[in-house]
Amino acid sequence: MNLQRAVAVASVECSKLSAQVKTRVALVAGAAGPFVFALAMRVQSSVPEDTLFGRSVKESGLALSLVVLGFSALWVLPVLASIVGGDVFAAEDRYGTWKTILTRSCRRSEVFAGKIATAFGFALLATAVLAVSSVAAGLLVIGSGPLVGLSGTLIPSSHALSRVALAWISVLPPVFGMTAVAVLLSVATRSSAAGIGLPVVMALTMQLYALVDGPEVVRRLLITSGFNAWHGLLAEPSYHGPLTHSAVVASVYVLSSLAIAYWLLRRRDVAA
Amino acid sequence: MRCAFPAIIIAVSVSSCGRSAITADRIERAFEPTFANLVQVQVSWLRVPPVTASDLDVTASCRRTAADVEAGAGEWVCKVRWFGPDRQPLRDTFDLIVTPDGCYTATAEGEQLGGVTLRSRDGRDVRNLLHTFEGCFDTI
Repeated sequence: MNLQRAVAVASVECSKLSAQVKTRVALVAGAAGPFVFALAMRVQSSVPEDTLFGRSVKESGLALSLVVLGFSALWVLPVLASIVGGDVFAAEDRYGTWKTILTRSCRRSEVFAGKIATAFGFALLATAVLAVSSVAAGLLVIGSGPLVGLSGTLIPSSHALSRVALAWISVLPPVFGMTAVAVLLSVATRSSAAGIGLPVVMALTMQLYALVDGPEVVRRLLITSGFNAWHGLLAEPSYHGPLTHSAVVASVYVLSSLAIAYWLLRRRDVAA
Repeated sequence: MRCAFPAIIIAVSVSSCGRSAITADRIERAFEPTFANLVQVQVSWLRVPPVTASDLDVTASCRRTAADVEAGAGEWVCKVRWFGPDRQPLRDTFDLIVTPDGCYTATAEGEQLGGVTLRSRDGRDVRNLLHTFEGCFDTI
């Protein structure tokens, strides 16, 4: 595989993405949504009591970012993870362009690598936009008050900021896992609707299962469990077992999904 | 792939006979320091003289509401014995909702610990941290 040609594929995919309405809408919504939420919290008297840190949302802007993180895990992050990954391969089927791109100078492995890089890059960018926006909205609209952590200690805002940043970074492994699953479904079904929709439904189903007190080992195998692994970062002393576990589980999802997706793409007969 | 993961999950769940990680011991070990820390923060917010965790000497005794199973997520009750800021012995009861990932929401029974807000010495209304609070503990 030639790296330069894979980069060229990613570059072309990025220029295609930047022209798409759905990716622009996703990024703008990710940037504006937390500010709308913060303004609503500031105006209204009630707080989201059923979410972790919901009761602190008027005391600390960083609590607001964590509320956004907790809420986003349900379906926003799965959508952002799969909106490009679930479409990047199926779009070629929809437009009938596989023959065109695979008879050019790029090999399948290079096209695959370029498209994967684009899908993962967008998932990273969208998560980063939501993270930065939620922290900015919290600090600008609510303020930088200290945060009452999950062990009852008062965490100074400077210290809390780094923990909130780590909390957002900790959701990247499950986000990438969802992206990989979306890529696999995009390749396997050749349908953007399935590529984007099924991972979101899968995430919702997994999170519903996680609410049931079923076998612990099954809950740990669910990729969505990683969306809650950050809780330990806000405890005192902090614990990191769930973070390590999340990274391992997500790696298995990423590697197995991409391996099968590549195998399916390699054996596809596009000339017929 | 689409068939592999459900198959693994089913296989592991069938072979899984381990008890839940949500146990009374884990909840008590998480609840006691969290409650003591919250009392200290609350005292500072109310502008009254500070207390140390050892002064509070919090002891919690938790049991699952569903009597048939001793461990697991769901509804729990914790009876707490502690010493107030002026060293008087106190007893409170908290109703807990514990989720399978090791997070809980504790709500005080009755009004002994005050309502949702409290009035500080300098006349400000502050949130009553002990009325309802959240915490998490490691289940791995």
